Amino acid sequence: MSAFASVAPPYNMPATSRGDTLLNDTAEARSRALNQFLASVELKAYKIAQAGLRHQDDALDAVQDAMLQLARAYADRPPEEWKPLFYRILENRVRDMQRRRTVRGRVMAWLPFRRDEDDEDADPIAQAPSQELPPVARLELDEAMTALDGALEQLPDRQRQAFLLRNLEGLDVAQTAQAMGCSEGSVKTHYFRALQALRLKLGDFEV
Amino acid sequence: MNASDGEPSQSTLLQSGLEVRSRLVLEEGLSRIDARTRSRLNQARQAAVAAAARPSALTWLYRLLTRNALMPAGAAAAAALIAVLMLSSGQRPAQPVAENPAATLDVLDLVTDDDAMKLMEDNDSSFYEWAAAQADAPAGGATT
Repeated sequence: MSAFASVAPPYNMPATSRGDTLLNDTAEARSRALNQFLASVELKAYKIAQAGLRHQDDALDAVQDAMLQLARAYADRPPEEWKPLFYRILENRVRDMQRRRTVRGRVMAWLPFRRDEDDEDADPIAQAPSQELPPVARLELDEAMTALDGALEQLPDRQRQAFLLRNLEGLDVAQTAQAMGCSEGSVKTHYFRALQALRLKLGDFEV
Repeated sequence: MNASDGEPSQSTLLQSGLEVRSRLVLEEGLSRIDARTRSRLNQARQAAVAAAARPSALTWLYRLLTRNALMPAGAAAAAALIAVLMLSSGQRPAQPVAENPAATLDVLDLVTDDDAMKLMEDNDSSFYEWAAAQADAPAGGATT
């Protein structure tokens, strides 16, 4: 008999239980990390999706799908890879929805008695902003937001994505390239073009 | 770097006023996202975390194989699986590798990208000045 056979296990616990505990600990740590990561990106992701889709519920659906896909397919990947992966998934989802909407629009244009989903009355309480500001500051910010949103809407999709991923989400050039599925040179071009266009539209953009 | 934090970093100082101000406005926009939207995002996050926490088929297989009664069979199955994986990876044909994949990607981007083509056609030197300034800047900072 080998010497290993006489060595007692360090704990009074069957080997399978230790393995299960280890698996459970790892899974719990991963769940916590994933929860923290998703919480840190969800609002920005929603804003980016909304800028691309211009529809609140569609943007929410896109973010939800991206979260689920990241969790199912990439939760085992190192957490530092999650952000570019998540935004890559989200961008693909937004693009799919834009395409589907275009096709649906063409089909609906031929149908009689169609009803526009956007005609539904929004609940004013549910739509109320979560924080209150002094009226003057709120008015100034409202104007600045409207101006910026309008300028962003007019940007080509790739320029808007580059601008929001870099400026709002704070991704660096390499991460943005990974998220957009293009080269770093392209990201620099899109970002520079976006800045040029925004400067033309917004001027000094005092807030 | 969050522009609304106390001390601005060097990368923030290198950014243009437009970039800093637009980030402030965008971040303010985030803080004003309504409660219904926040709630739905929270629910989506919980669903995603629950989906990730659900044990995968591989985990179930591992647990099944490591039960006492099945340990010998499990060890044999694992050894067989590893052997098959090693053999199959050894037989995989070599993938052709481009001499410089990054350069190929850049060229492809240049040809297929409207912005890049416009930039070349416009003979716009400001982009190259901006890119050179950005190359001198610390990593992560966007300059104009």
